[in-house]
Amino acid sequence: MPDAPRDGPAGPGRPSTARFGERLAGRTGRAFWRSLEELAGTPEFAAALREEFPAAASLAGVLDRRSLLRAMAASLALSGLTGFEAHAEETALPYVEQPEGEVPGIARWYATAVTFGGFAQPALGKTYAGRPVKLEGNPDHPATGGASDVFLQAALLGLYDPGRSQAPRRLGRPATWAAFDDAVLRTATALDATQGEGLRLLTGTVTSPTMARQIAALGTRWPKARWHVWEPMAGSGHEATARVFGRPLDMHARLDRAEAVVCLDADPLGPGAHQSVNARRWSARREAFRRGEGGCRFLVAEAVPSLTGMMAGDRLVAAEARVAALLLALAAEFGVAGASAPDLAGDERRWLADASAALRAAPGRGLVLAGERQPPEFQALALLVNERIGALGTGLTFTAPVAVAPPEGMGSLPALVEDMAAGQVSALVMLGTNPAYTAPAGVDFRAALDKVAFRLHAGLHHDETAALCHWHAPLAHELESWSDARAVDGTASIVQPLIRPFYAVRGVHEILANLAGDFGSGSRDIVQATWRDWWGEAFDGRWRDALLRGFVEGSAPDPVTPAVATRDVPPVPAAADGLTVCFRPDPTMWDGRFSDNAWLQETPKPFSKVTWGNVVAVSPALAAERGLATGDEVTLTLSGRRLTGAVWVMPGQERSTLALTFGYGRRHEGGLGAGFGYDAFALRPEGRWSLAGAELAKTGGRQQVATTQTHQAMDGFDFVRTVATPGEAVPKADDAPSFYPRRHWDSPSWGMSIDLDSCIGCNACVVACVAENNVPMVGKDLVAQGREMHWLRVDHYYEGDPAAPKSYVQPVPCMHCEQAPCEMGCPVNATVHSSDGLNLQVYNRCIGTRTCSSFCPYKVRRFNWFDFTSADPPEMRAARNPDVTVRGRGVMEKCTYCVQRIAETRITAQKEGRPIHDGEVVTACQQACPTRAISFGDVTDAASAVSGRKASPRSYALLEEANTRPRTTYLARVEPAGNDGGGEAG
Amino acid sequence: MSDVAGPSRDRFAAVTEEVTSIPLRYPEPRGWWILFAFALLLLMVFVVSAGALLRYGVGMWGNNIPVNWGLAISNYIWFLGIGHAGTLISAMLLLLGAHWRNALNRFAEAMTLFAVVCAGLYPILHLGRPWLFYWMAPYPSTMTVWPQFKSPLTWDFFAVLTYLTVSVLFWYIGIVPDLAATRDRARTRRQQVFYGLAALGWRGSARHWARWGQAYRLTAAIAVPLVVSVHSEISLLFAAGPIPGWSSTVFPPYFVLGAAFSGFAVVAMIAVVLRHALGLQDLVRERHLDLLGIFLLATGLMTAYGYWAEVFDVLYAGEKQELGTLQDRLVGAYAWSYWGAVVANFVPLQLLWFRSIRVRPLPLFLIALSVTIGMWLERYMLLVTSLYRDWLVSSWAEYHASVWEWGLFAGMLGVFLAPFLLFVRFLPVISSFEIKEVMAEDEEERHA
Repeated sequence: MPDAPRDGPAGPGRPSTARFGERLAGRTGRAFWRSLEELAGTPEFAAALREEFPAAASLAGVLDRRSLLRAMAASLALSGLTGFEAHAEETALPYVEQPEGEVPGIARWYATAVTFGGFAQPALGKTYAGRPVKLEGNPDHPATGGASDVFLQAALLGLYDPGRSQAPRRLGRPATWAAFDDAVLRTATALDATQGEGLRLLTGTVTSPTMARQIAALGTRWPKARWHVWEPMAGSGHEATARVFGRPLDMHARLDRAEAVVCLDADPLGPGAHQSVNARRWSARREAFRRGEGGCRFLVAEAVPSLTGMMAGDRLVAAEARVAALLLALAAEFGVAGASAPDLAGDERRWLADASAALRAAPGRGLVLAGERQPPEFQALALLVNERIGALGTGLTFTAPVAVAPPEGMGSLPALVEDMAAGQVSALVMLGTNPAYTAPAGVDFRAALDKVAFRLHAGLHHDETAALCHWHAPLAHELESWSDARAVDGTASIVQPLIRPFYAVRGVHEILANLAGDFGSGSRDIVQATWRDWWGEAFDGRWRDALLRGFVEGSAPDPVTPAVATRDVPPVPAAADGLTVCFRPDPTMWDGRFSDNAWLQETPKPFSKVTWGNVVAVSPALAAERGLATGDEVTLTLSGRRLTGAVWVMPGQERSTLALTFGYGRRHEGGLGAGFGYDAFALRPEGRWSLAGAELAKTGGRQQVATTQTHQAMDGFDFVRTVATPGEAVPKADDAPSFYPRRHWDSPSWGMSIDLDSCIGCNACVVACVAENNVPMVGKDLVAQGREMHWLRVDHYYEGDPAAPKSYVQPVPCMHCEQAPCEMGCPVNATVHSSDGLNLQVYNRCIGTRTCSSFCPYKVRRFNWFDFTSADPPEMRAARNPDVTVRGRGVMEKCTYCVQRIAETRITAQKEGRPIHDGEVVTACQQACPTRAISFGDVTDAASAVSGRKASPRSYALLEEANTRPRTTYLARVEPAGNDGGGEAG
Repeated sequence: MSDVAGPSRDRFAAVTEEVTSIPLRYPEPRGWWILFAFALLLLMVFVVSAGALLRYGVGMWGNNIPVNWGLAISNYIWFLGIGHAGTLISAMLLLLGAHWRNALNRFAEAMTLFAVVCAGLYPILHLGRPWLFYWMAPYPSTMTVWPQFKSPLTWDFFAVLTYLTVSVLFWYIGIVPDLAATRDRARTRRQQVFYGLAALGWRGSARHWARWGQAYRLTAAIAVPLVVSVHSEISLLFAAGPIPGWSSTVFPPYFVLGAAFSGFAVVAMIAVVLRHALGLQDLVRERHLDLLGIFLLATGLMTAYGYWAEVFDVLYAGEKQELGTLQDRLVGAYAWSYWGAVVANFVPLQLLWFRSIRVRPLPLFLIALSVTIGMWLERYMLLVTSLYRDWLVSSWAEYHASVWEWGLFAGMLGVFLAPFLLFVRFLPVISSFEIKEVMAEDEEERHA
């Protein structure tokens, strides 16, 4: 691979001029030096010059000293581009003979996976000359079927993140791996004496078989060592199944089978490791429903709006405590022994009647889901209800836990902190976790950490925890190291690198091996050892097969049919007084682990469309009562702890509920995401996802809230249309007359159809578009000014009473109008129509009059107000798709229907002398969509999938009255009339 | 003119003396220098704000998606509109033979010239890549790409360029005889050379006058339709877009009348100021102020009709989107610009029904100032209230001009003021020979 790793540790014995090379290479931002004189004009430079080139120094007297120095600095600066890399001894030569199969400019795809919350997200990585530029869901994977989410799409930027930790650090200062090895070896030797007494390992959720094997090996060497798992956003895990079935089990909601789903504060379609799988299954069910094969009914009771609630036909706004009461009532309704119905209010009774009716109408095809962040006893109760409605084994299946758990009694973070505070921990090794930031309120991790004699943190970033540790080891990103992991269904994937590490980093398995005294094995050897043990003789073939497929076939655990062991019914929870705070993972930051990822920072949150920050969401009623408006700064006090944040008035939120999200208020030095929003971890006690008794006070100040959509009421327009039944036709306007004649379109002529009945507003398409099309990120201030650059946006609208509105999403790419006002407006022919029906933007012809955008009824065009790209650090440039032009300052840009993909397919087809097949061109957004809401193809071919959709009675054009004849059309959402009163389906 | 009696010859000489003495021996240099220093200061502001703009990009301004255009375009229309009054007064009244124009036409033309320069700078500066503005011109390039002739901007480019050329020609042709008169009275060598070169060898021969008359009238004949076509064309910048509040057929006449309205207001202001500052009460008389007031009132009422027609159109058509825009104008975030325009344009204007107000310089000046501001508000309103809330609710966003935009606006006033002050200081501000011509004709009539 020609990409030699770039920066490296300052090893001993390097030439002293190397330090000047470092001044050019070892920087956090770009290396600016104003002049060569500045670079050369220091006494050190002169001294180094004498040392390095004594002859030149003697010349200095003869030549003009200044010009000599300038010449030396110039060559040094030029050599700085290549000359001072860590692995400079590795010879890099251009291809003399091209490696087999490697054609410059032709992408190669590798199957791999990235992990999210410990679970594998199977992916295909597109690489150019060994440089990954795009991740897509692996379409062959049995669980995801190619579905992806925002986190998978954005993982690529995590690889190229210039803020990543690039070298080991000791006490915060750069150190060498040799010194690190020394320190680890000494600690390990010392631990041998005590059988590992005092050694603690802290990780996130582990599904990696290799890591499990390594941890088990450590346990064998040091029996007294203990392993703790801290996954801040994980719910109560297996507690519910352990209660009911007597053993921990993973639950799998089969949304593809369940025709009536009652969600009590559950958000199966919302962000999380399950999202892609659930969304794919739900969309399969939804498609079947639209074909008339069974129902697809969702009933949701929740306090905080969720994506599932948005898609639900019947959403009840219920306080957190009332959700539990509703579950009890449902249990009583279906005859769970010992459950008695609590008193319900009018609308609660109505909703419950609907829910019961829906479940009864679909016997054996129903499902009741309690949120994973509900108290375990209520999740257990939901299992009992599922038993009654016959969902166990059909709508809800079980497997042995996919994640590897520490043996009984090892416990979680609070147990660890307790031991640390008691002085029982002498060595703490933290792998890919950031407890100094994510520790719950009341668990004083920072103070306890002081008492630990040896603190080692391995992570992608030098984060809050790393800053408190003796040693920080930079981890390799998953896309540059070998590993393995299991997806949520348990199917294992081998994580193979798409590129050699950029920096002097080690894989997580190497760190664990180091701990065990192995300093020689690479990650690949370690991972292979795991699978070699399992596969034995068949290893070579199966390994190769697993790498090609991207997963190990048949590695998912078999479903089990557990018997109910215990039937406890919890009491009705007391109604909460005052304000209840609900804590939620952030839809783009999760627990803050992605806060340095600009793509995710700038992805608008599904409801508020807020970017670069989190908000204190309050209900419209509370806002009216307290005189709060969006952007007002408030102080929130909960159990004596307080935080300050910006208010967001969130329609559809329960009246006295305040919703907080994690992931902001980061304090790591130099981090991209540091300084935005508030830190909700500082307020949340261990194990609680909601807490009553909050106090809210206005500070009188205002905070900037950068939202991409300031106005979310549909205002009586019909941007998102609905039909009552799948077969119902959307009313269509007659063809309006036009000044211009209708064009004849030759095949192929491209068009898109977006099914609003399938879109769940997850934003995967938005981030996929960013990654595919080199869309620049602009930052909080510019987003607040309305200058975000997303080519594809997901509009969100409310309709109805703000207390309980209906909520709609609508992805809006360029409409590629057949009669595009933008084309008429442009004075220089910079936006023109192609023969295959695309509205093209010619960047190098554009002079930036912005007429096209002024004339665009859909406002999908984006303008480069500044030079957004040329200041990007080299790492970020490497992330760019070489097939897509990087736009300069002052030009307009917009969705191209991924014209580069069309061109690539067209070239292939032409070479093979055949037409382009339907479905052969897949746009980035279409590929990313977990619900297959987007269809793309040749609209002149009546047999194409997209033509099929456009012929649907549900098909309509956005702003038909503007008479632009858009090529992007929508399919109306199926929403039975009066669904707030409980319709038939929906 | 051959048998003009002695005393009247003196009167003619007095007129020439009065006009040419201004550039040769400026009467009030102190006031001029103060004003000029102020103009230079504004010019500096222009250099700084345009420099920052060119260095960093249009992002320095407050524009966004959806409000792609802001102050730059509304000022462009405003400046160009102001310019039109100069052409109307000079060229149209010349062709109509309205002699009273002679007291006003010279500085009105100069105003046109500098306003067009300001107007022309704006669309170039507002480009994302201003250094490529010439791509709008149909020149034979190696790229063999032509401008897009359906675009209103292409025609804007032609229109402004043509208008600038014709305005320069018309103004310069008109001033040549007076430059010659000034040359003949110049005492210092430097003045003689300067005015001598500028006068292009004018000797006042009969043939000169004949050719001059043809050229002047011909240019005037070209200039008059330009007033209509240029501002109609500018209105298409809006009207061609399918944006609620813009795509209206009333726009072309509405824009032309508005342009004349704002232009007459600025001419009135300049007339009042120059008359006072340079002591030209005998040349710019009450009658002229009165006529300016009448014109202002007339064009103002026509503009008011445009306002009414626009609202009527919307209500009559009843399109939801258009009604929404109308509502935004009347009560939305930028309602101040709508009501500001209505009040500033039409309320003080009603005083001009009274001759006693029209002939008094100060009230006329204040009313004209109010109209100038009102028409600025109107341009801003038409642009912003349509764009900030267009079709899709999801894209709605407000626009707030940044300090750099205001800086450029202030600077642009400097771009207007500085050359105008130089004109006042160094060139004959009033057409003395045309005034004399009228006087002679009057006398002939009296003799007859």
